[in-house]
Amino acid sequence: MNGITKAAGISLAAVFMACSAGAASAAGTTVCYAFQDLSTGFWVAGHSAIVDTLKAGGVEVVELNGGHDANRQLEQVKDCIAQGGNGIILTADDGDSGTVVVAAAQEADVPIATFNRPPSDMSKGIIVVADNEAVARAAVDAMVAEAEKKFAATGKKLKPLILMGDLGDPNAVQRRAGFMNSVGAHPDLFEAPVEVATKWNSQVALAGLEAAMTADPSIDFIFTSSDFLFPTIQSVLEPIGKWKKAGEADHVILGGLDGDDGACKLIQDGYVDSTGVQDVYLEAELALTGIMDAIKAGDARPNAVKLDPGFALSQANYAEMGAKTWGCQVLAAK
Amino acid sequence: MSDTIPAPLLRRPRSSALPALLRRLLLDEYFVLYLTVAYFAVSAFFFPALLDPRNISNQLSNVWPLLAVAIGQTFVIIIAGIDLSLGATMGLASVAGAIVMTSAADKLLLGNSPVWGWLLSEQGGILADQPVAVAVGIAVILVTGGLVGLVNGVFIARFRLPPFMMTLVTLMLFSSAAIWITQSQNIVNLPDGFNRLGSGDLVSVYFGEKVTPEIKRRDILPFVTYPMLISLALAIAAHLLLSRTVFGRQVYAVGNNPKAAEISGVPVRRTIIMVFVIAGFCAAVAAILYSARLQGGRPTIGGGSALLDIIGATVIGGTSLAGGKGKIPWTFVGVLFFVLLSNTLNYMRLSAFHIDVVKGAIILAAALLDVLRVRLAAGDGR
Repeated sequence: MNGITKAAGISLAAVFMACSAGAASAAGTTVCYAFQDLSTGFWVAGHSAIVDTLKAGGVEVVELNGGHDANRQLEQVKDCIAQGGNGIILTADDGDSGTVVVAAAQEADVPIATFNRPPSDMSKGIIVVADNEAVARAAVDAMVAEAEKKFAATGKKLKPLILMGDLGDPNAVQRRAGFMNSVGAHPDLFEAPVEVATKWNSQVALAGLEAAMTADPSIDFIFTSSDFLFPTIQSVLEPIGKWKKAGEADHVILGGLDGDDGACKLIQDGYVDSTGVQDVYLEAELALTGIMDAIKAGDARPNAVKLDPGFALSQANYAEMGAKTWGCQVLAAK
Repeated sequence: MSDTIPAPLLRRPRSSALPALLRRLLLDEYFVLYLTVAYFAVSAFFFPALLDPRNISNQLSNVWPLLAVAIGQTFVIIIAGIDLSLGATMGLASVAGAIVMTSAADKLLLGNSPVWGWLLSEQGGILADQPVAVAVGIAVILVTGGLVGLVNGVFIARFRLPPFMMTLVTLMLFSSAAIWITQSQNIVNLPDGFNRLGSGDLVSVYFGEKVTPEIKRRDILPFVTYPMLISLALAIAAHLLLSRTVFGRQVYAVGNNPKAAEISGVPVRRTIIMVFVIAGFCAAVAAILYSARLQGGRPTIGGGSALLDIIGATVIGGTSLAGGKGKIPWTFVGVLFFVLLSNTLNYMRLSAFHIDVVKGAIILAAALLDVLRVRLAAGDGR
């Protein structure tokens, strides 16, 4: 018993010393990166870009994973502030909690930038975000070009469906708007769209899409608000014989948004028609430069919106735009 | 309960196996307090920033909501039960109150809600912008919490359902109800008067000399806050209820031996129902603090690892999972230890996953310690 107690005591002291040594190395600037998960290729790429770049620049990075718990994330950010963090980069769980966290940071005079997922109140903090409405509209416009060909051949209106993200996330709202604006501009081409909620959750998306395809198997135009749901779409379409390449009979016109490596591969293979590309590396750079500039300038409450204009990658422009798409770069590096 | 304990666990430890001082320490009712102080002292040696007033003020702000809900769990565990539905209760109560108080709602987000058009509209809830909105909203939150507790208590007491099973069912039922009512959206635009309950302070302090023309806001620390007053008031009331009233003695009696308590004339069923109502009420108080802090009614407010924190803090404090033993001051110390633990793990730069692993291990250690203390106490009683 005594031996075990001593061993445990020595181990604990060793852990404390090792950890305190790590903490003590934070002699210069400390930036906290508070995020919610790394469950999609986009977030993994963004996380790597931010953390690796900061570390390469000699900045100490404190990674705070909120695990989809808004209260925990708020506590983590307050911890960061209490521990003397010089700046914060935030990816909130939703726009509402983002607003609260940004306010808490600004209240404490700590500059904060949000990466990709903006707070509901976009007037506070450095907001780095894709122009989601424009990017989604561009991606759906590319799908519409394919739909026009199909309509010309069959004379039948297409039945569109959108897999919506969490509408508490302004990104999801804007992507839905982009889809609706594009499809709504062609009333002669499309029937009323079917909307399926996903909450950014593949299980929810699977259940909703299966139900929609069962209710109406003739749906032939699907847009997903995030590329990470393409495997889910495949798992629903393949068993009913609708996972077909462009040009094949029963091909469902497919589009998405993110521009990740999975979507790039599916465009290469001919299954997906287009994806809206938000440039994860540009957005990471905008967030980093924004927060570092604010720290250097002593600006405790910088407010600015920095837009990633994005673009659409489609089968038609793949040769030209593929190399500019971050997901294709990731794919090429694999 | 004792029927299910394997025989080897029932062996009493030899008196000479542990030094007398360690035995006394382990059996001391404030053992966890000593442990917390020792842990804080050791941690502060390696991480001096723990002693920074900013850090202490911040950690205390994390203590109060968790304390409120852990008080309810303490009552339940004392009667040898467990309430897994406290997180769901918080979520349902949070959105119920917010629906009443909100001053605006987005049709795009909430138009499919079953309450849209009669309790909620683009102009907000039925008491939007009314002077009584905050008071009624708080009342709705508290009543919702109490009602959930009543449902739990009635089924457990009347139909003798195991608390684990009953509260697991209500965890699913009420968390799903909260998500369905709000379509998984947050209800925001709550009155400022309500939001202040989450972080507003009555007394702020500044440590240090005024060497700059302007003191940074981050250096002005909340000292006496609304959450502090609310949770401490709840804790004092709960402590008096448990330690100074007939009802309190009945709670311990039911936890020690419900059959013996019944024979002795204790209204066991009524006591069980009351305990679960109190637990629901405490969860509702925590829902007020969390909702105000996050400035919105959130159906998922008690999700994630919240249940781990609630049960963990209670058990670490020394409340026995076997029932019949527990005190509110112990739970207060348990919450302090739990928050301190999170704080130090955060300083160690551990990931959220590793932090949960460590927290789980600490809770397991606390449960094993409880078994050891029971055995030691039994040995002393021979």
